[in-house]
Amino acid sequence: MISVRGLEKRYGSVTAVDGVSFDVEAGEVFGLVGPNGAGKTSTLKMLCGLVDPSAGTIEVNGFDAGDPEMRRALGFLPEESPLYDEMSPRSYLRFFADLYDVDRAAATERIDAALDRLDLDARDRPVGDFSKGMKRKVAIARSLVNDPDVLVYDEPASGLDPITTNTVVEFTRELADDGKTVVFSAHDLHHVESVCDRVAIMREGELAATGTLADIQAEYGRVEYRVFTDVQVADADPAGDRYATVVASMDDVEGVREAAREAGGSVVDIRTRESTLEDVFLDVAGA
Amino acid sequence: MNPRSVLRIARWETTRSAGDVDRRTAVAFVVVLLVIAALVPALVAYGPTPGEGIYRVGVDDDDDYRGVVAAEATLAAVDPASSGVRTGDADLLVGDGGFVWADSAKGRASLAALRSATVAFNDRRMAGEDNQSAAFPVVVTLTYADQSVSVTGQQTGDDAGADAGDQADDTGDQTGDGTSDGTDGGTDDGTAGTEQPDSERDDDGSEAVSDLPSAPEGGLGGLLGEQQTGTPSSLSPPFPLRSLILAFAFLLPLNVVIQAYGSSVLAERINRRGEPLLVAPVSPADIVAGKTLPYLAGALALIAGIAVLVGAGPLAVAARAAGPLFLAATFLGAMLARSYKELTFVTVTISVTLTAYAFVPAVFAEVHPIASISPLTVVVDSITGEGTTAGAFVLSTVPPALAATVMFGLGTGVYREEDMFTQRPIPAKLLDALAAPLDSRLRVGLWTALFMPFVFVAELFAVAVLFVAPVELSVPLLLGTVALVEELAKSLHVYAGFERGRFPRTLRTSLVLGALSGAGFFLGEKLLLLTQLVGLPGIEVAQFAFSPSVVGLPPGVLLVAPLVLHVVTAGISAVGAARGRVAYALTVLLAVLVHVAYNVAVVVGVA
Repeated sequence: MISVRGLEKRYGSVTAVDGVSFDVEAGEVFGLVGPNGAGKTSTLKMLCGLVDPSAGTIEVNGFDAGDPEMRRALGFLPEESPLYDEMSPRSYLRFFADLYDVDRAAATERIDAALDRLDLDARDRPVGDFSKGMKRKVAIARSLVNDPDVLVYDEPASGLDPITTNTVVEFTRELADDGKTVVFSAHDLHHVESVCDRVAIMREGELAATGTLADIQAEYGRVEYRVFTDVQVADADPAGDRYATVVASMDDVEGVREAAREAGGSVVDIRTRESTLEDVFLDVAGA
Repeated sequence: MNPRSVLRIARWETTRSAGDVDRRTAVAFVVVLLVIAALVPALVAYGPTPGEGIYRVGVDDDDDYRGVVAAEATLAAVDPASSGVRTGDADLLVGDGGFVWADSAKGRASLAALRSATVAFNDRRMAGEDNQSAAFPVVVTLTYADQSVSVTGQQTGDDAGADAGDQADDTGDQTGDGTSDGTDGGTDDGTAGTEQPDSERDDDGSEAVSDLPSAPEGGLGGLLGEQQTGTPSSLSPPFPLRSLILAFAFLLPLNVVIQAYGSSVLAERINRRGEPLLVAPVSPADIVAGKTLPYLAGALALIAGIAVLVGAGPLAVAARAAGPLFLAATFLGAMLARSYKELTFVTVTISVTLTAYAFVPAVFAEVHPIASISPLTVVVDSITGEGTTAGAFVLSTVPPALAATVMFGLGTGVYREEDMFTQRPIPAKLLDALAAPLDSRLRVGLWTALFMPFVFVAELFAVAVLFVAPVELSVPLLLGTVALVEELAKSLHVYAGFERGRFPRTLRTSLVLGALSGAGFFLGEKLLLLTQLVGLPGIEVAQFAFSPSVVGLPPGVLLVAPLVLHVVTAGISAVGAARGRVAYALTVLLAVLVHVAYNVAVVVGVA
């Protein structure tokens, strides 16, 4: 469905995206994560033809990025919700439906369906009166008026309250269930974890890791062992009436056991902890 | 461009903009339009006369001079009491014993006004006689010798005499004009040197009309009608209040339209509102055309409506050229501005500059061919019944239309995500706009040629501004201005191309780009031949701007010399452009000096 090869974007002397390649299958939710300035938004904008790549190729639904046919098959949600305050959601969405050559009856049906699913009742009031969450819902509805196969969402839940965030995240998952291909970026790793089938972690314009969450955790995650002793050993921190030492392998656990025995004590408890996506993100993205 | 998409966007822009204007603002705008609509036709129709009735003339109702006073707007009949002059109730008394006037400047002026009004009154009466040979038994033929100030076209005997009177010392062969005062060879309205075609006296052909020799330096000046050219130092045109009112009437509503248009374009860039449109299956050209169409239609409708109100003929369509020019400049400005504050600055600058371009020359309609550069002049001529030649029509409409097209092209080139939403300074964004279309080296030459309308408009404007100055001052200033304008047109986009990394900064590339730019300019400047259509080169100061190559050079040199000049100077500035801002500024200066030296050598030296 989406194929990206050797994608580069340079702004003067600054390289925002550097040799990024990935594929996204039909019906898949693909997440782009990374710290600010990692190149996520630039990548998404090149994906939907908004920005021309400096090098590399992008193919979406069989068309080059920017091709008018590709644009018809794509819905884009930018990071902000840039609407026209004086227009109502209905008139705004109808205008975009017109631009995509959607006939009036289908447009009305599609707009109502999208706004119903997003739980937005105020459809004929000026958007300028809306809250940020309501504006976001209108923007999401706009990305759907052409019934696209591919959706590119940039931080869809950014700055929203928890309830609206939950609505948006769930809606994104439902879109994938409907067969849409979704590529989206997010800062909140819980959203990524709950929605994405696969994830790419970007760092300084490059892809640092790509794969399913399980793959990434397996490759980049780690297990920590917290060894509790009843005597002080080297590097141990007090933990109540005991002492805790964090080590990365069973060999190290054995080393702590030996040290405790030499000090006249013993190991009283061992606990393991696997890396979360956030841990992996912090490690891989270098944040 | 997809017409369906354009119309959809235009419809959306119309409904959206309508929703953006509150009812009170709309009402206020309509009221302003109605006031203009009511006032302008009245002012134009009644022919506002400055100084109406300023001279009070005491004259009996049954006196012969009563009719003269009634026919002259500056004269007002008052009680002919003999003490009127002494008490200050009258400036002039007409009595059986002759004239009595106040011993003051105004008293003497009132006498002069009455005298010229009497002459005009008598002339009109004579013109109404059936037997014209009896009415005008003497025919005077005037013959003019060459003089220092270029003169084109034909002149009526009296009026020509007025001007010739100023030049009589030079020519020495001035003949009388048959007017009764005999003071200065033809002044008939108290204003020495005034040129004002008097159709009432010319219609019957009884007034002496000379077959003047053509202008010394080319041009088809006569095409504009019976007018005399020269600088204001040799002309004293009547105060053209009617032209001024018309120019004002046409330009004021345009300023309202460009404010709304500029705000709408900038609104797409603020908070990235235009981003979703850029992802839709429409091109930037569709978006720009669609957003512009409602404002263009509005501007053209306003101009057409005003033209109808003031009674202009079909040729008033020329005034519509001002609409796209204003909108295009506003569009480009709105694409470069970073905020509404900057947009205000930009639109005010555009408004003042373009208003000056359209307004100042139009004020000289009926007076001077320099007026032909303004589209509004065609309107003024249409209303006043002056003829408009095809050349004047083309000159007043084609350059503004071409300049508007190029500005829309430049603005559309940066109507994309990477340029629209960045907060770079205006000069940097201007360089972006100039560099955007330079996909290849050949494009450099093409865009140099496309910049010609700007060069043309700038040079016309320079001529319009400088022609009021004495020739000794205006010619050197114009030579410098023309050289600067042309060298910037040849090099600014080359500099932008280097700055934006479009070309490698090598000497070879610089020279190639300079050669292409110079050649493009050489081809593009053929547009300047338009000035020949209306005889602008007949104006001494304009000759240095528009026809430097027509003077005395053999044909081969005529063809090659300008090409060599443009290639060399463009090459000089291109070499500097590749080496950064300071080097570019210095080389442009050098190129300007070379250009000026060429103009001085070829034009002044050969001439």
